[in-house]
Amino acid sequence: MMKEQNTIKSATDPGGKKKSIPQEPASQGIWSGTISFSLVAIPVRLVKSVEPGRVSFHLLHNRDYSPLERKMFCPEEEKIVPPDEIVRGYEIQPGKHILVTGEELESVSPDRSRTIEITEFIDIREVDPIYYDHPYFLVPLKGGEKSYSLLVESMRRTNKAGLAKFVLDEREYVVLIVSRDNALAMSTLHYSDEILPMALVAAEASDEEINIVKKSIKAMMTDFAPEKYSNNRRQKLLDIVNKKVKKKSEVKAPEVEEEEKAEGMADLMTALEKSMRTVKKNGPIKHGKN
Amino acid sequence: MPSTLWIGNIHFGALIVPVKLHTAVSQNRVQFHLLHKTDRVKLRQQMICKFDKTPVPAEEQVKGFQVDERKYVLMDPEELEQAEPESSRTIDVHEFVKTGGIDPVFIERIYYLEPDAEAKSYGALAASLKDLDALAVCTWVMRKRAYFGAISSTGKALRLNVLRYTDEIVQAQSLGLESFELSEKEVSIGSELINKLTVKFQPEKYVNEHQKKLWEMIEKKAHGQKITPLTPKHLKPTMPGKLLEALEKSLNRAA
Repeated sequence: MMKEQNTIKSATDPGGKKKSIPQEPASQGIWSGTISFSLVAIPVRLVKSVEPGRVSFHLLHNRDYSPLERKMFCPEEEKIVPPDEIVRGYEIQPGKHILVTGEELESVSPDRSRTIEITEFIDIREVDPIYYDHPYFLVPLKGGEKSYSLLVESMRRTNKAGLAKFVLDEREYVVLIVSRDNALAMSTLHYSDEILPMALVAAEASDEEINIVKKSIKAMMTDFAPEKYSNNRRQKLLDIVNKKVKKKSEVKAPEVEEEEKAEGMADLMTALEKSMRTVKKNGPIKHGKN
Repeated sequence: MPSTLWIGNIHFGALIVPVKLHTAVSQNRVQFHLLHKTDRVKLRQQMICKFDKTPVPAEEQVKGFQVDERKYVLMDPEELEQAEPESSRTIDVHEFVKTGGIDPVFIERIYYLEPDAEAKSYGALAASLKDLDALAVCTWVMRKRAYFGAISSTGKALRLNVLRYTDEIVQAQSLGLESFELSEKEVSIGSELINKLTVKFQPEKYVNEHQKKLWEMIEKKAHGQKITPLTPKHLKPTMPGKLLEALEKSLNRAA
């Protein structure tokens, strides 16, 4: 039942877990820091570039029709745990954890936690699409607009993409920075050892068979027009909703004093991000601001 | 051997290619748990009722579509089922496009398609797509969801690229970026610099160095050693007035 509210991870996830950088509302940005190439440094923030298309259902309590919110919960004390009481732990033995703080995490690779340093550029056409993981945009912060435009324009002209590594929370990402529609688009890449080998035993086809297939492909060649394909499910659901609205079969939720909306906190990582930020805010070492 | 996620047939014209869907990527990373500071108990996510602040078990949860402030239309499971696509075992090919015609931002994930039977049609399709530098645009239904994708070929092997629907992609225009006047000199030095710093793409060169360091840190802590906190490196932004100078210096350094 949770699927509707989840982030990109599970939206089209029939297989294993897909890890993406934690999501935040686009306006806030997921991360901020500096992107650099050679001696040029550009202050930027990271925002999402895909929005999982979903009909936004809310989970409600069947007794009072009040919306539900996702909270971190301590099963031992049976109570909601506020962000400042959440810590990260690595399980070394069943039930035994080594606690790790946000500062300690940032200390692992201090060169990469606030800086995306483009060390080299490559020809975009050399990248096998299998490497692409998750797309984002980089947006310039105040004062960075000119050097941002320069990188966008120079990469567009040369048709090159920048490669860099950066660290967010406990993960290190290899990222590809490209110029797209006058903006810097960034995609996390898979490491090559994460790409599985393909065991293949296909029967070889004859030239004659290949030629027949080619002929029908040629007859069906066209330009890519993605807008032709839409998610019917969303439309079908909206139709059902509209019918019910006409029948006036609505329910009313009780009034509660306004609190922070829970929708952005769809997954564990986002909740964690929030908790880490709180930890940082209260911690002895100040991060994030110059 | 990766497990098979789904079995079906690629279909277009008179051609039927039986295939199995396999994972193409596997990530193995350090996983942390979230714990309660006070008792170190592993936390879990729990749905809480905003009104009475109590945990709500799954059987007391209902789905509602918000039509107005505090007003919802309830959806029961049967209604949600009505919106489900009809199940099928066919990957329907609708048309073919040139490779390179699809922006990578559309790619949600990639699966390997392996031949499910000793079918020559698989080999014929793989060879044809490669020769024609083409992708097969297709749709299919898997686990009660309708997907849109593109079949690509490495020559001998087929892959299924799961694509995002157009309305899921955030347009760059929505970022509200203003274009900035640049001098021709700045752009040409910038371009020259990029060309000088260009290398061949060798993905295997990039390994996850962080993972090992993270392990080392965890081990140190497990042995009771203290971790000295380090401040993250911050770079000083290049001021607009200093951009040309920075570019020229960079170019000299790269030469």
